[in-house]
Amino acid sequence: MTRLLAALALACLLLPQAASAFTVTDQTGRRVVLPAPPARIVSLVPSVTETVFTIGAWDRLVGVTDFCDYPAVARQKPSVGGMISPSLEGIVALKPDLVVATTAGNRHETFDQLARLKIPVYLVNPVAASDVLDLIARLGRLTDRAEAADRVVAALRERIHAVSARVAGRPRPRVLYVLWPDPLIVPARGALVSELIALAGGDSVTADGGHGYPRYSMEAALARNPEVILIASHDATRSPLVRSKWERFTQVPAVSAGRLHTVDGNLMHRYGPRIVDGLEVLARLIHPEAFEKAVLR
Amino acid sequence: MTGPASASGARLAVLLVGLGLVVALVAIGALFLGSARVPPGDVLAVLTGRVKGVDQVVVLSLRLPRILAALLAGGALAVAGAGFQALTRNPLAEPSVLGVSSGAAFGVIVAQVFGLGTGLVEAVGIAACAFAGALVAGAAVYVIASRGGGLPVHTLLLAGVIVGIFFSSAITVLISVLDFDRLGGVVHWLLGNLGPIAPASLAVFAALTAVGLWLVVGQARPLNLLALGEESAQQLGVDAERLKRRVFAGAALLTSAVVAFVGPIGFVGLIVPQVLRMLLGPDNRLVIPAAVLGGGAFLLLADTLARNVVAPAELSVGVITAFCGAPFFVYLLRSRAPQAGL
Repeated sequence: MTRLLAALALACLLLPQAASAFTVTDQTGRRVVLPAPPARIVSLVPSVTETVFTIGAWDRLVGVTDFCDYPAVARQKPSVGGMISPSLEGIVALKPDLVVATTAGNRHETFDQLARLKIPVYLVNPVAASDVLDLIARLGRLTDRAEAADRVVAALRERIHAVSARVAGRPRPRVLYVLWPDPLIVPARGALVSELIALAGGDSVTADGGHGYPRYSMEAALARNPEVILIASHDATRSPLVRSKWERFTQVPAVSAGRLHTVDGNLMHRYGPRIVDGLEVLARLIHPEAFEKAVLR
Repeated sequence: MTGPASASGARLAVLLVGLGLVVALVAIGALFLGSARVPPGDVLAVLTGRVKGVDQVVVLSLRLPRILAALLAGGALAVAGAGFQALTRNPLAEPSVLGVSSGAAFGVIVAQVFGLGTGLVEAVGIAACAFAGALVAGAAVYVIASRGGGLPVHTLLLAGVIVGIFFSSAITVLISVLDFDRLGGVVHWLLGNLGPIAPASLAVFAALTAVGLWLVVGQARPLNLLALGEESAQQLGVDAERLKRRVFAGAALLTSAVVAFVGPIGFVGLIVPQVLRMLLGPDNRLVIPAAVLGGGAFLLLADTLARNVVAPAELSVGVITAFCGAPFFVYLLRSRAPQAGL
């Protein structure tokens, strides 16, 4: 009896400690055990940097990459280098209690090296738009900003529904999205941009041509008579030249109808909250008629 | 003197007509084949101006310029290879083996880093940077490899490999500081990218190639004499230094034009002159003119495969030239090399 009591007492002493350990499951299903909610996070993913800002956990972010250029204040955070080969020394020097990395863009070697240095790594692997919303909620719970994150998710969801409602029942124009013009690289099956085009009420002409972002045949793309051509800009100074290359093809419906547009690639290719901005841009370009009244009002 | 010359002249004429037919056949095939599945009748209708619309874009704006670019690039690379081989008297010399392609590629990427885009004037600027890179790389190889007035074979190859590795690393450094989003394009370009080329750019490409061909092809006979050794060539009235400068500049110009407009495609400059020598013997008066058409046909065939085998996706043409060229080359090496004395 005394022994049982002693065991109970011991358990009671141990329990608070066990509970104070902070255990989360990352987006790839790995369990990440931390002594406490992370207060010093290094983000190796531009979209995670954007998300952390949006949910109001900015003060917990102590390091970013060279590619984290949004919001502008991200440039004021110390950078640990590129996504493919970040500086391990730079990461260690920031004394992070958590590093957030992505399976698409960072390297597995980096995760292993961080594990050997006993720095916990939280992995993200968003594929679809729903994964982006899931990631925002997860990062909210991770940074003690669950409520704020849920509000962000609810607002984004509402905007997605609003777009769907506007484009619902309208004929779906054939859309050619140009991720990279030369060689032609396009979004295909499973690519986030393909999903965004479908949500925006368009029919991507390259959605069936392979997986992810393949190099694509220019003639196959044009032979499908795209009614809208969207060219992702990566660098503001280059886009006008790229446009003029396509304007030669006046026999293509999109060109003859003047529906050749440049869009900000960062809104479409990053798995952060701005994909909904991207979705709205796409919807307005694919279905301008659905938004005319809104502009007038 | 007239006997052998006219005999080889007749042989050259027959050869060029035969290769011309091969080029025509491959070009017709390339014009009719593609992922857009334009029916043959419609292709003919487009060519006679009876059909407009997207089919016209596919045939006249996409396939035709690409066919011309492939023919130009293949011919240029093959002649550059034949030129470097005659110049160094080394059958393995070739733009990419000598590091000249890497130098030119470095020039192109430097030009892009400094913001030169895809416009016409900028295309000339990029080609100029490529030419400068090719000259620097070629000159570096020459300086490193030359020993007491000669160019020992193994030193030359080693120098070429080292210079090539140096410029490849320099390219890697530049790529790693480039914008992440631009990486995809550069990586594809480094494997060779015969994409849609605008008519004006194609004209610049053709003009540069013509100058390069003029510099090299006209020197076939003195290059034959150079094969006897520099002293013998001098005694036979060849200004060896001038000849070497001229052919080097021509081969470097051909290489850099190709690198600037379609990317550093390997293997063509090595395999095409070799195959032609196995078939025709070592006479540069046959091999170099034949390389213009043979190289064009080979690269066009490779590119037609590259854009059809995984349609509607595409492969890089450099992958095909190496993938199909290497086994064919091994076959020829095993079966024909003993007769050719290689």
